[in-house]
Amino acid sequence: MKRISIMLIIMSFAAVLFASGQNEKVQNNEKNIEPVEIQFWHAFTDDARSGWINDLAIEWNSTHPNFKIVAESKGSYRETLQAAILGSRQGVAPHLVQVFEVGSQLALDSGIFTPIGDVGNVDLSDYIEPVLNYYTFNNSVYSIPFNSSSPILYTNKNMMIKAGLDPNSPPETFEEILNACETAKAAGIPEAGLGFNIHGWFFEQWLAEQGEPIVNNGNGRNGRATETMLTSKASITTLNFIKELNDNGFYKSTGKLEDWGGSDAIFQEGKVMFHITSTADLGNISNAIDSRFDMGTGRLPIPGTSKRNGVVIGGASVWLTSGHPKTEQEAARDFILFMTNTKNMNSWHKLTGYYPVRKSSVEELEKEGWFKAAPTRTIAFTQLLETVSNQATAGGVMGTFGDTRTIVEQAIQKVLNGADVKDSLTEAKKLADLKLEEYNKNFK
Amino acid sequence: MLNKKKRIVVNIILIIACLIIAFPILFAFIKATQTPGQVMSPRILPSGYLFENIKFVWTRYNLWGYMLNSFKISLSIMLGKTFLSFFAAFALVFLDFKAKKPVFIFILITLMMPTEMLIVGLFDIISLPSPTSFKDFFSWFIHPSNIFLSPVKFGFGWTDNLLSVIVPFFASATGVFLFRQHFRNIPTSLIDASIIDGAGSFRFIYYVLLPLSRNTIGALFVVQFIYAWNQYLWPRIIIRNSSAQVIQVGLKAIIGNAEGVEWGQVMAGTIISMIPPLIMLFLFQDQFMKGIAVSDDK
Amino acid sequence: MEHRSRFKARGLEVVFLLPTMLILILFLYYPAWQSIILSLFRSNLFLGTRKFIGFENFRNLFSGALAPAYYQSLLQTLIFSVMVIVPGLLISLVLANLSISLGKRGKIYQILLIWPYALSPAVAGTIFSFLFNPEVGAVNTLLGAFSNLQPRWLDNPILAFLLVVTACIWKNLGYNYVFYLAALQNVPRNVYEAADIDGAGVVRSFFKITVPLVGPVTYFLIFTNLSYSFFEAFALIDLLTLGGPMGFLPFDNTGVTTLLIYKIFQDGFGGSSNMGFASAQSVLLMGIIGLITWFQFKFADKNVHYGGE
Repeated sequence: MKRISIMLIIMSFAAVLFASGQNEKVQNNEKNIEPVEIQFWHAFTDDARSGWINDLAIEWNSTHPNFKIVAESKGSYRETLQAAILGSRQGVAPHLVQVFEVGSQLALDSGIFTPIGDVGNVDLSDYIEPVLNYYTFNNSVYSIPFNSSSPILYTNKNMMIKAGLDPNSPPETFEEILNACETAKAAGIPEAGLGFNIHGWFFEQWLAEQGEPIVNNGNGRNGRATETMLTSKASITTLNFIKELNDNGFYKSTGKLEDWGGSDAIFQEGKVMFHITSTADLGNISNAIDSRFDMGTGRLPIPGTSKRNGVVIGGASVWLTSGHPKTEQEAARDFILFMTNTKNMNSWHKLTGYYPVRKSSVEELEKEGWFKAAPTRTIAFTQLLETVSNQATAGGVMGTFGDTRTIVEQAIQKVLNGADVKDSLTEAKKLADLKLEEYNKNFK
Repeated sequence: MLNKKKRIVVNIILIIACLIIAFPILFAFIKATQTPGQVMSPRILPSGYLFENIKFVWTRYNLWGYMLNSFKISLSIMLGKTFLSFFAAFALVFLDFKAKKPVFIFILITLMMPTEMLIVGLFDIISLPSPTSFKDFFSWFIHPSNIFLSPVKFGFGWTDNLLSVIVPFFASATGVFLFRQHFRNIPTSLIDASIIDGAGSFRFIYYVLLPLSRNTIGALFVVQFIYAWNQYLWPRIIIRNSSAQVIQVGLKAIIGNAEGVEWGQVMAGTIISMIPPLIMLFLFQDQFMKGIAVSDDK
Repeated sequence: MEHRSRFKARGLEVVFLLPTMLILILFLYYPAWQSIILSLFRSNLFLGTRKFIGFENFRNLFSGALAPAYYQSLLQTLIFSVMVIVPGLLISLVLANLSISLGKRGKIYQILLIWPYALSPAVAGTIFSFLFNPEVGAVNTLLGAFSNLQPRWLDNPILAFLLVVTACIWKNLGYNYVFYLAALQNVPRNVYEAADIDGAGVVRSFFKITVPLVGPVTYFLIFTNLSYSFFEAFALIDLLTLGGPMGFLPFDNTGVTTLLIYKIFQDGFGGSSNMGFASAQSVLLMGIIGLITWFQFKFADKNVHYGGE
């Protein structure tokens, strides 16, 4: 009996908690008219970036009493997009969704989005053109560029000095990386090596640098892609590099796919000399390192045999869903334009390392002398400005991009386990093509 | 009884076993008390940072919200399931009706149909929007081919609704069996006495059956509460909104898919998430042990 | 022996059984049927498309480029189950037997061994993913303090597989222990004392007396553990390995920890979803589970004597 009464007490405790939660809502209702909620789903789980969005939402809300921007993180990019599509099919769609470039085709095909450029008159001329072009489909601008980044090389300068390397000229090619690691190893540095998480994104960037598309039909931009290019020369060169790194004991990762945080931690803890990750982590990583060692940056290393063609200008953008009243759509659009205005894009860039996607922001940053003050950040711009504009660097579009990424990642894992590069890529291509074929059948 | 030498050996083995089994949890607890810097170091002494870590996950990472959701879900399932299986088992044991055997087999078969296996089929049924008008529903429902030969068109529309993780679990073969087993062990003389007294079903349930079923009810409470609390796959799929998410999936969200895992905070969240099922287990430990002992021969 | 019913039903059976039956029909039987229907369709969850394609999903499971991954996943699941169940049951039975052999003085161990019953797979996965993170995890940090050993727990296929198996055994220990303990509590101690006088060794009396005595519980536990390793291990995988890493030949068609349930999840709810393809896998899984159950009931009925019944 005693236990039953304890149970009852716990239950009534829970009931009170539940009731008190509801009371709050009721009270709010009585006080003033509840503003209309505008849901913004994004994929940032870290404090710095989600906090930045929240702060701007509060700022915007204070001047727009009829609306309330509610920003919420949905986990990874993949899960954010999936949640949005399913939500809208089930009648609980958010208004704004942050979609990564890879999800563009699926986002388009899902039919839940409306081109944001067509909601009223929007002046988009200030947004950097190649970036905006990425999100232009059938002559409509579907989304507002928000966070664009590319991978760069991070170096542990202290370690490089110890190894007798010049910390101010980071390796630029695959060969230089391998040589630098050899030198460091010979100098008795067990941390000699390069770390990056097993991610298709890097693979895609390396294809773009070598000027090769990832899918046919003009990288999927002249028509629906029907075949992947996973056995191209550029693909093989890229995987050969990873294999060579690994065979020499120079490759470092947690072994988990897409483990950004794990890889960053390895570098931050001083357990590897070189690290490749997004420019977007410049802020977070240098904060985490604090003053434990001196961090340097360099351009993404590429095969020495190739000319530097540039990186994929992508990242993520913010899409607007259809199916909400016009006033809400306009409010949502206004918030996004506010969030990406010149001033905010500057603070965004300074906080994170993402490119400011507006021309005026870049100009202002230059005027401020920001690039001189923050030399580690300059590299991102050099990389962007050097990028040759063509279909390879425009980035591929395909409905199964997510799967293709996983398949590429598994191929990399196989190679890390000792499998043959060509065999793994042939298998990967077979599988990715089949998935693409299956996907495309949904439209027949 | 064992002789002294043997007893010492047994004690040593058990102590070692207990330590090994408890090690991961002890470790998690120790790391939960450390500062971010200490967490990454080999240090295995507790530190004084527990409260800060908890505070952080509690508010910043919505641990409180996840816990509350799990609490509501687990209590509902525990009570609902126990209640429904009690009466279903009563009907199967004490009531006289024709279709008893087919009904029993019907329930028996569900033993081999765990929800995890049915996620694909269940997903549409739970998540699709419900029909807007009765006419819509009726014109769909009236054709057997719509219901039986094609994928469903309507569902309950319970996405991001706690009902989606509660209602499907209200009935279970396990509960029915546990009660049935127990009821069958009740001496017939008691039932005879009740009937001679002229007691009806409800009086019998209230005065005889309930008091006799305390252990079984206690055991079911523990089993179902912990089962519901530990659910993972189904809420992971059906719930997309973190305000309706449960603690188990919340742990994954706290680890995060992106950058900078603060393992000290994650461990703090993990430890907190274990407290309610542990309380349940030790609160009802005696009934639990006795209740399942009856059931163990099937 | 069937209990003789004593109460007039008067329609009460309908009131008492209907809620249970309704829920079982709506949320178990009908979804099972829907899975069968859906397995004949190509259905992308995110595009909302549904197209009847006959048995193509089943064909894709057994031939063509998608088949090897399915075969591998099937085989892995079976290996995984055996590796989880056999040591798991053995360890918990030994522990239950030892702690009960101490009589009243063993009570403290019972409490110290029962608590893992409350462990969830997600908690086990979370703690293990921190413990065994190869670069910043505690195990390698400790190993690094006095040796050069830094095992690659998550990307070495054998280690990763064993890690998930271990986590699974650990998580399930409490459950098995509880049931064995409950069963052994009913065994009169004089059975053992008699064996002691006979001079039977510890090991021998364990296999000759204890194991047969808990036969029925073992059968029950094999079944529940099977269901556990087939389905609930999902959370462990989702947190620890995400189905990876890719294995060595011939296990190089999908991740070595991609068990059947994880594959259903990936194919149905991930990326370029085909719910039909996932359904086809569910249907086959139902068949497998059905077969195992049938074997078990048949086998158990012949070989196990239920006390008293």
